[in-house]
Amino acid sequence: MLIKIRSIANLGLETIPVDIEVDVASVGFPGFTIVGLPSKAIEEARERVKTAIVNSGFSFPPKKITVNLAPADLPKDSAAYDLPIAIGILAASGQLLTSSSDLQRMFFYGELSLDGTLRPTRGILLLALFAQKKPGSTIFVPHPSANEATVVSGIKIIPIKNLGVLVNHLKDKEMITPLNQTEIKEDIDSLLPDFDLSEIAGQEQAKRALIIAAAGGHNLLMWGPPGTGKTMLARTLPGILPPLSSTEALEVTRIYSVAGLINPGEAIVKRRPFRAPHHGISAAGMIGGGSHPLPGEVSLAHLGVLFLDEMPEFPRHVLESLRQPMEDGQVEVVRVASHIRYPASFSLIAAINPCPCGWLGHPRKECRCTPRQIARYHRRISGPILDRIDLCVAVAAVEVEKLALTNPKAIPKMTSKQAKIQVIKARALQNKRFANLPIYTNSQMRNKEVKKLCFLTPEAENLLKLAVEKYDFSARSYFRLIKVARTIADLENNKKITSIHMAEALQYKQVL
Amino acid sequence: MEYQKITGWQKLPELSQLKDLTTPPKELYFAGQWQKEIFKNGVAVIGSRQMTEYGRRVIEKIIPQLVSQKQTIISGFMYGVDQYAHQICLESGGKTIAVLGWGINFKLEGFDLKLAERIIKNKGLLFSEWENQQPSHWTFPVRNRLVAALAKKIIVIEAAEKSGSLITVKIAAKLKREIWAVPGPITSRLSTGTNALIAVGKAKIYLGNLPSPQTNLNKKSAPLINLLESDVLTANEIARKLGQPVAQIGAQLSLLTLKGQLVEKEGKYYLKNVN
Repeated sequence: MLIKIRSIANLGLETIPVDIEVDVASVGFPGFTIVGLPSKAIEEARERVKTAIVNSGFSFPPKKITVNLAPADLPKDSAAYDLPIAIGILAASGQLLTSSSDLQRMFFYGELSLDGTLRPTRGILLLALFAQKKPGSTIFVPHPSANEATVVSGIKIIPIKNLGVLVNHLKDKEMITPLNQTEIKEDIDSLLPDFDLSEIAGQEQAKRALIIAAAGGHNLLMWGPPGTGKTMLARTLPGILPPLSSTEALEVTRIYSVAGLINPGEAIVKRRPFRAPHHGISAAGMIGGGSHPLPGEVSLAHLGVLFLDEMPEFPRHVLESLRQPMEDGQVEVVRVASHIRYPASFSLIAAINPCPCGWLGHPRKECRCTPRQIARYHRRISGPILDRIDLCVAVAAVEVEKLALTNPKAIPKMTSKQAKIQVIKARALQNKRFANLPIYTNSQMRNKEVKKLCFLTPEAENLLKLAVEKYDFSARSYFRLIKVARTIADLENNKKITSIHMAEALQYKQVL
Repeated sequence: MEYQKITGWQKLPELSQLKDLTTPPKELYFAGQWQKEIFKNGVAVIGSRQMTEYGRRVIEKIIPQLVSQKQTIISGFMYGVDQYAHQICLESGGKTIAVLGWGINFKLEGFDLKLAERIIKNKGLLFSEWENQQPSHWTFPVRNRLVAALAKKIIVIEAAEKSGSLITVKIAAKLKREIWAVPGPITSRLSTGTNALIAVGKAKIYLGNLPSPQTNLNKKSAPLINLLESDVLTANEIARKLGQPVAQIGAQLSLLTLKGQLVEKEGKYYLKNVN
């Protein structure tokens, strides 16, 4: 008998329907073959499926079994076909009576373990989003990762603990209760950030730069000796960025679902991602790769923060690979087997030491680097990458005793929540400004938009001219400066860029 | 870069000072325009390769004064104090002689090359006793004796306890040149050499000219200026001391820097000396 079970294959963030055709022939030598460009993981499904069926108390038919994964020309690489194959064999051998019309609206997806229980499987959210397009669908997914699907409405989600329970359900003996939909709440105030701005002593200027970066979507470079809090400062950024909207949250969750990074039981990624890859990372790890490319760090940081600590230590080609995603907000990974596009729109925070030994400009420690070594160290970050970084701030060594914890003049420290409110207001202004344009933040403005949308007061213009002469700015840094000044003016709800805004923007000019 | 050999330098009166040396150079090469006057009022400004913030400010303060007194700045063209002294001398319109620690025909690149070209353009000289010598550990101390001999007086900006600058001082003492040292913080490793010279009486204290009082101050930023009168501070520290938001302080600092009242180096601010 021939049975057709429906499932899916994930190619990057795209979902392609896959039919699992199982034939248990009444004639021929007993055997078990899987065709349809299966990967090694699917080849091995034979042993898992056979043992799981037997261990769940069913019989494995001693007949000629052929499994075809259609379409036949699409290479498939996932252990998630274990469940559809097992269900197909049980149905085709008459151990599971269901009409094939029912099977048309059912999707099976999951990896089996030898005792018949189901293991967490990646890509469940994509299956749910695909099934949503076919009205009246039911998806059968492993219990540990079933929660991922609950954010999708209009489908029935059946979480399965093991094969036996599923068979009972399909035979209408003992029904499994479907999971309820959860709504994506946008009230993310309850989410506490990992680090609060107010926890950091000193470094007022760096904190201010972080708020500007968050408000205008600018990339930020922090510059200072080791141990001055660069990493900690970077970690506060997700907490001051505006909360993820529900569509954004779904977008991030899709990527994490494909990468298999959603914790079992978790439904949706609500926090803005913070990724801090180590500088030993390969280019494939950074932008995505593998013969069936998985998302890399840039995509995992989508709509969040990518933090590169000790940026000059990253291999040159890895840094250069950041250029496309920083420009386009997405990344294309091309391999022999496929050509995949992942979204990758992130805020870059880079931290660098002032020199190879790290102590240049430290109040007590002495730097022993020669100017040539320092120049070579800075040259490792190429111009095109620096061009995409709008803000640059020195994070100087703090002399702890000078922080004056009991300073009577001390201004109360801003908390992440207060900063976030400022950022949200500034972003709202930008949304209004760019209503008819395909951009969202000041950092995305091109020169054309800067000329059209940024109004400078005459004093600000004079100041800018003075600065261009004094610091010998290139045309690029000129526009960068205006963009930063625009964001500073937005933070103060000012329609025009005044000389004060421009003067503050000058504080964050590049030093390299 | 084009260079020339000086044939029979012993006969030139402007180089007679080199004859004081117990081991005068056999040959001499130079690049640039030869002018007798340049050797008249030579003052050697020497110091460490690892220049500190303090050393930088000292140079910025004293070199313009020396230039206005029509003195020629002689130094060793090494990065740190030497090159900064050449650079500030050029910026204040003075003439400078760079005594190289390598052969005159040695290819320079990057900042070195740019500085060398600037020295020649401003009627200064590059000077060496070798033609094709590679820089090496021994060439620098050997070069130092020329620096000491060419100058009438020597000012040590910053020097550690054991350093090349002290070798120059030792030679200069033998040649009976006037030796000055700039006192420094006693906690800084790079001032131990200069302070020791003063302490044992080998060098006189060099303090430069006394600064003239500042007048053109903006009233609103006066507290900020007052703060910087005695210290080098970052924007964070200034904001903390004045109890104002760093955004405002940052804007003020940018404005004052653009006006030329403040100088910013590596995130720290200090007052520019207007003499």
